[in-house]
Amino acid sequence: MKITPIIGLEVHVELKTKSKMFCSCSAEHFHVDPNTHTCPTCLGLPGALPVPNKTACEWCLKLGLALGCTPNESSFFERKNYFYPDLSKGYQLTQYEKPFVVNGKIKVGDQEVRINRAHMEEDTGKSVHIKDNSQELTLIDYNRCGVPLVEIVSEPDITSPEMAKDYLLKMQQIIRYLGISDADIEKGSMRCEPTVNLKIEKDGQEFFTPLVEIKNVASLTGVQTAIDFEIKRQTEAFNQTGEVKSKTNKNTYGWDADKNQTFLQREKEGSSDYRYFPEPDIPHIEFTKAEIEAIKATIPELPDQKIERYKKDFALNDYDANLLASDFSFSQAFEKAIGQNPESAFVKFTANLFLGAIKTYLNESQKDLDINKINSKYFKNLFDSVSKSEISATVAKQVIVESYYIDQDPVEIAKNSGLIQVSDSSEIAKIAKEVINTNPKAVDDYKKNPASIGFLIGQLMKASKGSANPKLAKEILEKLLN
Amino acid sequence: MDLKSLTISQIQELLFSKQISAVEIVKFYLQRIKKLDPQIKSFITVTEKEALKQAENIDNRIKKGESVGKLAGAVMAVKDIFLTKDIQTTASSQVLKDYVPQYSSTIYQKLINEDAIVIGKTNTDPFAFGGSTENSGFFTTKNPWNLSKVPGGSSGGSAAAVAADFCQFALGTDTGGSIRLPASLCNISGLKPTYGLNSRYGITAMASSFDCPGVFAKNVSDLALVTEITAGIDPKDATTINNPVPNYSQILGDIDLKKLRIGIPKEYFIDPINIEVKEKVMKAAKLFESNGATLVDISLPSTKLGIAVYYILVPSEISANMARYDGIRFGRNTNNNPDITSYYMNTRGQYMEAEVKRRILIGTYALSSGYYDAYYTKASKVRTLIKNEFTNALKNVDVILAPVSPTVAWDIGAKANDPLQMYLVDAFTVCINVAGVPSVALPCGFDQTNLPIGFQLIGNFFEEAKILSIAHQYQQITDFHTNTPNL
Repeated sequence: MKITPIIGLEVHVELKTKSKMFCSCSAEHFHVDPNTHTCPTCLGLPGALPVPNKTACEWCLKLGLALGCTPNESSFFERKNYFYPDLSKGYQLTQYEKPFVVNGKIKVGDQEVRINRAHMEEDTGKSVHIKDNSQELTLIDYNRCGVPLVEIVSEPDITSPEMAKDYLLKMQQIIRYLGISDADIEKGSMRCEPTVNLKIEKDGQEFFTPLVEIKNVASLTGVQTAIDFEIKRQTEAFNQTGEVKSKTNKNTYGWDADKNQTFLQREKEGSSDYRYFPEPDIPHIEFTKAEIEAIKATIPELPDQKIERYKKDFALNDYDANLLASDFSFSQAFEKAIGQNPESAFVKFTANLFLGAIKTYLNESQKDLDINKINSKYFKNLFDSVSKSEISATVAKQVIVESYYIDQDPVEIAKNSGLIQVSDSSEIAKIAKEVINTNPKAVDDYKKNPASIGFLIGQLMKASKGSANPKLAKEILEKLLN
Repeated sequence: MDLKSLTISQIQELLFSKQISAVEIVKFYLQRIKKLDPQIKSFITVTEKEALKQAENIDNRIKKGESVGKLAGAVMAVKDIFLTKDIQTTASSQVLKDYVPQYSSTIYQKLINEDAIVIGKTNTDPFAFGGSTENSGFFTTKNPWNLSKVPGGSSGGSAAAVAADFCQFALGTDTGGSIRLPASLCNISGLKPTYGLNSRYGITAMASSFDCPGVFAKNVSDLALVTEITAGIDPKDATTINNPVPNYSQILGDIDLKKLRIGIPKEYFIDPINIEVKEKVMKAAKLFESNGATLVDISLPSTKLGIAVYYILVPSEISANMARYDGIRFGRNTNNNPDITSYYMNTRGQYMEAEVKRRILIGTYALSSGYYDAYYTKASKVRTLIKNEFTNALKNVDVILAPVSPTVAWDIGAKANDPLQMYLVDAFTVCINVAGVPSVALPCGFDQTNLPIGFQLIGNFFEEAKILSIAHQYQQITDFHTNTPNL
């Protein structure tokens, strides 16, 4: 029996526009007092009308173009009708027949995942279920109601839980490159609903298990474990019942992150009828060719292209290039540091600082890199000093962080702290003699075993407060001892 | 001072020459309302306090020599589906009984900003679903010309209020004839503007792609005066159009009747038209002819499909537009429901009027999967056809002249239990809404029982200036519109 998972992902991304999708309320809703960012339109009061947010529409188009999609000549919104208390109008404005963009693809590892569509819609409010004096209450916060959402629907080209995770990471990276959303899964600004079934080859026959849409997955690892669980569950279910996919047996399962398992939420999803029809309150939206070109021009170099360029132009290895390009602002800072037309040795040196000292500092301090504090001259000076052996690689790591912190030339910092490497033989010889005199036992050891010179070098480095050139120190010690 | 039958400009003349104060104007109408409205029942809410406060404010400014708005002294009644901040807005439905909105509709606010005085909120069919006001969740309005007759609807309260001289003008909405029909049955003038001329923001939605807010007045000149204030783009209504708004009232004489080509569509003069109505409307056409205009026989063959298209598309939009009335954020609700579905069903079931439910059901059905293409998609195609027929016809003629209502006002109750008969009263008005073009309704005579008859002049998109000008000139050579009911 051969099992191939067939996985498609629906990703919802909350755009970080200033205002909501169809009104001028602030779109901010994380840690905001309930129902303070509301108005007649997002509360669905009688007579209130939606007016589309132009920036949000443009950003949806921008994302679509970045995903290689084709824009529809004319798009329109539709009403998706269903009742739920946090859906104020009793219908959600979304796009069904004519989304802004269709038919794209992205690279995930060595594979390609086709994108079916990306469309614009609005978020719902939030229902909070509480218990008050043993009475169960549902409170509704409409701050999130009407926040712009882009839904990106993939084709079922994903074949493993790991690949699903990589797809999401790639999507997140592209979205962050575009600067249109925080795409934070934990905070809910990026949400993911996998649809999973299996192709089972058994006794020369092919079977497809019923489709399952998984809801409530709230973390990246959750996506992976939920899909993993679902693959196992469907395999077992197939072995027991032999049930295969039909037009009516698509089910919705919820993900329980505490129990690490999926559970049946709604059966026969296929039968629900949302009665979509074109939203009469909003005229059709058409982007001209010039407008599309203008939006295209705002798309920055995307991660794949950037990695290729780093490898080709700077001879960086695949691993480093990937790490440097992983975060847009980090890569921007790196590119600012290396300046125009850098030599590859300098690029390699700077890359090591970014991926080593700077990244460690950012992780430890939990701060974001401030590109304004990156000064290409400082990196160049530091590189020159290290090349001339004036500054050791160890000191370089130390001073670059301080330089970033206090905005001062790192070479100056090294000088002021006495961290300039001594490469003057007579100066080192003076210290070496002192070390030999004060460590007779180590000298004896060396005579028996020359490999033990390390101890004496260490003592010399210590006496020089780390400023001696270690290579030179070794040479001088050996000369004096032999 | 007897202000009966005075128009906006006549009243303003008295006000600005200090022969009368705004407070006196308001008191005159309040007195009439108190005396006569208990029989006519045009108002759901009389805004005595607000009106007097506004009037005092205007008087103070006039006294101090300060500037006042273009409609200072004009007293208006407002259909109760226009949201009016701090003033109860019921949409004539039990669903919104006692509902006090937090904001005002755009065009109401524009009129208030020009110092129009609001005297009250008028009765309508619930959410404007109907043609007689008989569907109202509260009571039926009577026709001031004959209290046993309907005033027409849905804006029947507004039409009756103008006809009964409870105000100088009134706001209404016309989704399938709801301004023109009651205007015609009550012997007043009414304008259904081009879709998108007047903002719909803050008016409970019936069918969003059809709804046209508009105005009733005693003559066309007043329609022009008010429309030049209400019209124009509204950043809160994405379907309003950014066209410059002409000063309609200043260009009413601009059309030369002698050069006019008037289309007479044969489909509007056949069954179900009443013989007396046909005669009076044709007489109006002949009057234009005798004043130099050319009458041109035209055909709008899809007219017969109008009602069918209308009663598929309109309920479809209604079914979604009514979803927000769930009793959760506003409006009335019910208690002790075991779950959310029962809450919805009991709340909506208890308070929505029969016609509201009927239209939700029709619309939900038409939009259902499996039926959508046969109903909604097909009807949308016919809609385009009807629209094209109007624009094509209007290439050869300046304006189309047609009756408004097939009959004069009918007895209260006569059609109340037969929804299909009731839907047919819109036979000559709905196509104009399906197309989205403007139409002005005005009086052209009376039948033998002294009930008013009206006709409409239909223009091309955004040609309000043209149809108002033609209508105004008709009123310069006729006096039907100056007749008032004996109350």
